[in-house]
Amino acid sequence: MTARRRATAIAGLTAIGVVAAGCLPAPATVEARRTADLYTTFVAVAAVVAAIVIGLSVFAIVRYRARGDETLPRQVIGNTRLEAVWTAIPLITVAVLFGLTVLVLNAFDDATRAAAGVEIRVTGFRWGWRFEYPAEGIRMEGVGRPGPEAYVPVGENIHVTLTGADVIHSFFVPQFLFKRDAIPGRLNEFAFTVDAPGRYGGQCAEFCGLYHSQMPFTIVAVSPADYEAWVAAHRGGGAGASASPGVAPGGSASPAASTAAGASTSPGASTSPGGSAAPEPSR
Amino acid sequence: MTAATLEAGRQGHLDLLGWIATTDHKRIGVLYGVTALGFFLVAGLLALVMRAELAVPGLQLVGEQTYSGLFTIHGTAMMLLFATPMVSAFANFLVPLQVGAADMVFPRLNALSYWLFLFGGLVILSGFLVASGPADIGWTGYAPNSTLPYSTTTGTDLWVVGLLLTGVATIFGAVNFVTTIVTRRAPGMGLLRMPVFTWSILVTSILILYAFPAITAALIMLLLERRFGATFFDPTAGGDPILWQHLFWFFGHPEVYIIAIPFFGVIGETIPVFSRKPLFGYKAFVLATIFIGAYSMTVWAHHMFTTGAVNLPFFAATSFLIAVPTGVKFFNWTFTMIGGRLTFPAPMLWSVGFLFTFLFGGITGVMLASPPLDFQFQDTYFVVAHLHNVLVGGSIFSMWAGITFWFPKVTGRRLNEPLAKAQFWLWTIGFVVTFLPQYQLGADGMPRRYADYPADAGWTTLNMISTVGAFLLALSVLVFLIAVVEALRRPADAGPDPWQANSLEWWADSPPGHHNFPNLPPIRSERPVFDAREAARAAANGEPPAGSAVAPAPAGPGPVGPAPAGGSPEAPA
Repeated sequence: MTARRRATAIAGLTAIGVVAAGCLPAPATVEARRTADLYTTFVAVAAVVAAIVIGLSVFAIVRYRARGDETLPRQVIGNTRLEAVWTAIPLITVAVLFGLTVLVLNAFDDATRAAAGVEIRVTGFRWGWRFEYPAEGIRMEGVGRPGPEAYVPVGENIHVTLTGADVIHSFFVPQFLFKRDAIPGRLNEFAFTVDAPGRYGGQCAEFCGLYHSQMPFTIVAVSPADYEAWVAAHRGGGAGASASPGVAPGGSASPAASTAAGASTSPGASTSPGGSAAPEPSR
Repeated sequence: MTAATLEAGRQGHLDLLGWIATTDHKRIGVLYGVTALGFFLVAGLLALVMRAELAVPGLQLVGEQTYSGLFTIHGTAMMLLFATPMVSAFANFLVPLQVGAADMVFPRLNALSYWLFLFGGLVILSGFLVASGPADIGWTGYAPNSTLPYSTTTGTDLWVVGLLLTGVATIFGAVNFVTTIVTRRAPGMGLLRMPVFTWSILVTSILILYAFPAITAALIMLLLERRFGATFFDPTAGGDPILWQHLFWFFGHPEVYIIAIPFFGVIGETIPVFSRKPLFGYKAFVLATIFIGAYSMTVWAHHMFTTGAVNLPFFAATSFLIAVPTGVKFFNWTFTMIGGRLTFPAPMLWSVGFLFTFLFGGITGVMLASPPLDFQFQDTYFVVAHLHNVLVGGSIFSMWAGITFWFPKVTGRRLNEPLAKAQFWLWTIGFVVTFLPQYQLGADGMPRRYADYPADAGWTTLNMISTVGAFLLALSVLVFLIAVVEALRRPADAGPDPWQANSLEWWADSPPGHHNFPNLPPIRSERPVFDAREAARAAANGEPPAGSAVAPAPAGPGPVGPAPAGGSPEAPA
């Protein structure tokens, strides 16, 4: 019996581990590593909780299945001490989880308040993104696929000020384990520090209408030296502006893709909801 | 009238006028249930189209605009035309029976509730008939995406008006339930002798009275903004999009518990019956229900962690806390089984299945209560998996438990047991296959409400698996419908108490006659029918009365046969 119960518990734990612990993408920022660690802690606690509850239920089902015995079992109505224990233990558990959560939130706030290495203003619009570097005088904008590319240096605190031009969008980079809503009429601030060079795909996460699924962007993290070169090539808008039209995926009804640097002529550049019409793609 | 109607039904012709004009709580309950299941089938079909579209990358079946309509109406119909009215179905049929009353306090208001709900639902679905298509704003209808010029379909206006009608219907129903429970309990039934299902409906109804006015106001504001020039949510004219989210979730989170608490109550009824024991910790269970209801009013902004507009630690703390009373209920259920004599007919299978499936929803809910984790999971398939895990693995599992449990009471016939069990296993496997892959999709970053996803994202296999699961769920529903038809073709011979159950509805005939009870047993615990049955057995065997654990009853239970309606007037324990 004990061996069987232990086997059941191990099986339950494994099942929980595999199922509930949907694996996160490899964290790519300082902040994402904190989130990933927090998630690991939550999964461990969840596995223990699930093992206890599943173990108790399986035990009850196996042990107390009626086997032709028609007599009435003992009519137990409760046990105050037991009930106090199973109220107190979850209370302590969630209090600990709350404390760990607040520590991570405070770290995020500290990063947002810290001196910015690079300042970027990001605007979501139907259906694309605009990245502006006010200090460098750079503006990258893209509609549809493949969307705009925003370069950032690794190891520096990137401070983002985020808003929406028309409806609510959400700036989401899965490998940063982070998203924040781009809300018209509001400015949201956050910061991140990328660990290693690489291309990190992002996308809109708040339903924003017809082509919600067709407005990706890419954060390209490069070494500080490469970043300076990129800035030099794009500074002031006109020089070296890449206006290559993007490639729409295999004939799907995605909006006409374009990227533009500097003064944009994209139809999506409207900043007032009632203003110029949002880009109406040909279908 | 009811008896004559049932007789007419047996003779093969439907008493249509009788059903339309009815104010009988049992018939209104059946109307609610059948209509809600009808909307469930519609919303389920919409989900199947979505899952078929998502099975592989690229747009094969529908375009983006159609897809937006599908998930909007699927969510709206499942939440507000199926789950919420299904609560009304159970409550309408059961609450007067469980408290030993002849009907609801306001029978005509009750009928009005049903008809408002039906027409409101049809108004929402009529969006499929207008040229511009149904609402395309998601069931959450976030402004300004739901305002003009962004959502131009007439369907969105129909959605607003339809929801206003069904919302008012729900409020009327809640008034009726509270009044009935407070004023129509049979003599002897103190508050702490009410069945836990009735307790759950009392708490739920109070939540409805608290939450639904907020959505009613929000919908009126949205209609004014769309058609009459108001600017509540327009930042260019001094409005704020976040206002909609506050109003919506101030309603929306209690709404989640409005369609969860009653079904916790169902499990609180079934597990004791099939364990042959009273609910372990009845008072703690009632207290946990009240706490869950109260906490559910304080957690709404955890849906808004990524807006940057809410106090994160406060709403994280309240959201974590709500796990505690929910955990208490889990222990109530498992410790009721421990030490019992467990049997596993379909209602108990569903109840035990619920314990396992709902557990995952609860655990992932605690993860989502942590804002840093929510920053990754919000608006991804992780949230889709979580909410379906709670609503399908929680509410719908226990709805099936309730339907199979009370089907003999409503129709006089038990469902065919092999068919009911086949439905259970198909549904359980379908549930796991459909929704568990979605956790991984979401953790990996697949956003919800995407009509399409890139072929190189690595999401194709899991999406295909999820789609297969959805069709298993559909197959399960088909088996259920076959089981219902099969049962209704048999004679009504289930008898008043086929499960050896506990609460007063099992004292009435199956189906109960007009005005429900010719007499009532004495009510000296929360299990009057159990007490009466044990007393009768003891008397037949010439034993000293066993009595109830809750009411030791030194004088022995009262008369079992026809007794004057009203047992002992003694105060509740």
